[in-house]
Amino acid sequence: MRHIIHRRELVADDVRYAGEASGPGTRAAQPAAQFIAALSAGQASAAAAAVLIGPADEVEALAPHLALLSLIVVEFPKIGEGRGYSQARLLRQRYGYAGELRARGALKRDQLFFLARCGFNSFDLDPAEDLEAALGSFNDFSVAYQGGSDAVVQVRRRAGSA
Amino acid sequence: MRVYRYDQIDQTLVNERVAQFRDQTRRFLAGELSEDEFRPLRLRNGLYIQRYAPMLRVSIPYGLLSAVQLRMLAHIARSYDRNYGHFTTRQNIQYNWPALERVPDILADLASVEMHAIQTSGNCIRNITSDHLAGVAPDEIADPRPYCEIIRQWAALHPEFSYLPRKFKIAVTASPADRAAVEIHDVGVRLRRGSNGEIGFEILAGGGLGRTPILGKVIRRFLPQADLLAYLTAILRVYNRYGRRDNIHKARIKILLRALGAEEFTRQVEQEFEAGRQSAPKLAAQEVERMNAFFAPPAYQTISDSTPVIGSVSSGNPGYDAWLRYNTRRHKVPGYRVVFVSLKKHGEAPGDMSGEQMDALAALADRVSFGMVRVTHDQNLVLADVPQSTLLDVWRELDALGLATPNIGTLTDMICCPGLDFCSLANAGSIDVAKQIHARFDDLDYLYDLGPVEIKMSGCMNACGHHHIGHIGILGVDKHGKEWYQITIGGSSTGPAALGEVIGPSVPKDQVADTIARLLEVYVRERHGDHERFVDAVRRIGIEPFQERVYETHHSPA
Repeated sequence: MRHIIHRRELVADDVRYAGEASGPGTRAAQPAAQFIAALSAGQASAAAAAVLIGPADEVEALAPHLALLSLIVVEFPKIGEGRGYSQARLLRQRYGYAGELRARGALKRDQLFFLARCGFNSFDLDPAEDLEAALGSFNDFSVAYQGGSDAVVQVRRRAGSA
Repeated sequence: MRVYRYDQIDQTLVNERVAQFRDQTRRFLAGELSEDEFRPLRLRNGLYIQRYAPMLRVSIPYGLLSAVQLRMLAHIARSYDRNYGHFTTRQNIQYNWPALERVPDILADLASVEMHAIQTSGNCIRNITSDHLAGVAPDEIADPRPYCEIIRQWAALHPEFSYLPRKFKIAVTASPADRAAVEIHDVGVRLRRGSNGEIGFEILAGGGLGRTPILGKVIRRFLPQADLLAYLTAILRVYNRYGRRDNIHKARIKILLRALGAEEFTRQVEQEFEAGRQSAPKLAAQEVERMNAFFAPPAYQTISDSTPVIGSVSSGNPGYDAWLRYNTRRHKVPGYRVVFVSLKKHGEAPGDMSGEQMDALAALADRVSFGMVRVTHDQNLVLADVPQSTLLDVWRELDALGLATPNIGTLTDMICCPGLDFCSLANAGSIDVAKQIHARFDDLDYLYDLGPVEIKMSGCMNACGHHHIGHIGILGVDKHGKEWYQITIGGSSTGPAALGEVIGPSVPKDQVADTIARLLEVYVRERHGDHERFVDAVRRIGIEPFQERVYETHHSPA
C-alpha cells in the first residue's frame, strides 16, 4: 500500500490515479483539464473533487473552480522540476485555495522544506524514499528570509515591512 | 562596520545548511542517493565533480572579504587543498582538490567566519555580483552593496525559486562606468536617482554569454526602491513558470525573453508584478537604512592628497612608478588610494593565489586597509582604502609576495577560466595559453604603449572566461581531439557593452600569441593618436584590416 505524508504524518494513500483500481473509501484524481471540460459541458461535478495538474498546466484555469475541490495534486515528473513551487504559491497566496495541496513525483526529503514553505501540506515522494526519515526534513531549517505558507520557521522580519 | 555581519538568523541558517549538506553527503556515500539524485543537491552547494577531483566554489558575496575571512580561505587551501585557491569572474573562489567526504568540514569552517557555498552553482539564484570599487568609487551615485545584501538574503534558499530552469545571475551597479557588467546578467540592476533625488533602479533582463551571447534589455526605466524585491519576484516567477526546461542550452531567461520579445516579456512581468503586489515582499526604507549602516565608510583620517599628485613625477624607482600608475586608482576620500593586487604574474595561472599569499595579504589589509579585501571580476584583488603615505611600503610588500606585477588593465591582465587542466566541460586549455601570451608580451613598455587591451579567454562555449566581451576574446574549441582557438575582437563589458566578432577560422594552440601579435600590429598602425584604445579602433575601422593581417597566406589557419 502506498503511503504519503499528510500534515507531517505518514498515512495510507486513499487517492487513486488513472489505471489504479478504486475501492471503498478511495478518491479518484482526474486531470484538471478533464475536470474543467466536464464542468463547462454542464456536467455537475462531485463535491470535493480531486484533480491533478502537470507542470505546464495554468493554475489560472483552475482558479474559478477551487471551491469545488478538496485535493489538488501537483506533479513533479522529473528531478529538478520547479514549476510546481510557483503553482502552489499562486494557488495559496493569490487564489486562496485552502484545501489539501499535494506534491507528487520525483521528490526526495531534500525538497520537503521548500515545498512546505510554498504551501504544500501533502507529499507523495519517490517510492524509494524512507518516509520516516523524511519527516525530519521539515525541520532542516528553523529560520528563513522569506515569508511562507507554513508558520513553523522564524522568518526575518524586515524592519517596517508588511 | 564595513561588511555585513551575521545575526542569529543568518548564522543559524548557514549552520543548518552545513548540517543538511553533511547528511546529504553521507546518504550519497552510503548509496542512499544516486549520482543523479545527489547532483542537483551538491551543485547548489557549489560542489562539482571535476576532471581529477571535486571542485568546491565558495561564495564571496559581491566580492567583499574581511581579513579574517581571507585567512580562513588560506587555512582551507592549506588544510584541504594543495595550498591554493582560484578566484573567479564571479568574485568567488574555487578549490580544485578537496576530498568529497571532507567538504562538510570545509563548509563548517566557512560557517565559523560567516561564509558559505550556498547557491554557487545549480539551477538557482547565484552569488550577487557588484562593483569591486563600491563605496570608494568617485563616480557612484550610492553604495550598491546594501542592495546586494538585501537581494542576497531574499534569494538565499528561496522556497519558490530553488529549482529554476537554469542558473540565474544578478548583478548590481551604481556607476555609469558599470564595472559589474550588468548587461551580461540574467538580471541587471542599475541604481538611479529619481526626480526628487530618491534612489530607484533601472532593471535589465535577459543578458548572458554562453553559447548564445545576448545583451540584456531594459525592461523597467525606473523602479521605486520599495518595489525591488517584488519586481525581482515577478521576473523570477515568470521565468520559473515559462522558461524552457526541455533543452539545457535554451533554458536561460535570455531565450525566453527572445522568444516572447522584450515587449511581451515585459508585459508579463509587469502583469505579474501588479497581480502579486499584495503578497510580494516590500522593501522598507528602514531596512535599507539598517543595511546602509553595515557598509558605512571606515574611520578615514582627515589627511590631504599627497603632493605632488601621485604618479605625476618620477620617484626615481621605475618599478614603483609603473605600479603606481597601473595598479592604483583614485579614491573618493583625499589622502587615500585604491590598490589593485595583481593575480596575473607571468608563470602563474590567472586568478590563482597561494595560502601564504592570502595570509600575508590579510595581514597587510589589517595594517593599511581597514582589514578588508575585495575580489574583482577580472580575477584580481583590491585593497580599497590605502593611505597614500603607505604606498611605497605596500608596493614593496606586494612585490615581495609576487602580487605587484604592474599590468592591471593591460594585455597580460587576462581573464581566464581553469580550462582543460581542471574543468570537465572544457574543450581546450586556457592556463598554458595565458602563459604563452605572457611569454610573448613580456616587454612592459610595449604593453604600456598599447594601452588598455582586455583579453578574455574561455576553454569552452560556456564562456566562464567571458570571451565574448573581451576586446580580444579567445575561445577554446575541440577539432578532432586537438585544441584550437577561435578569436573574436571588439567585445566590451562596458560603455557600451558589446559582443566581439569572430575574425575567421580558429587557430592552432601554438599560434595564439602570434595571432594576437598580428592584431596588435594592425592596431598600432591604424590607431588615431595615442589615446584611441584597441577596442575603439576596432569599432571605427571594422574587423577587415585585422582579418587580412591574421590570415595572410604564410599563416596556416585551419
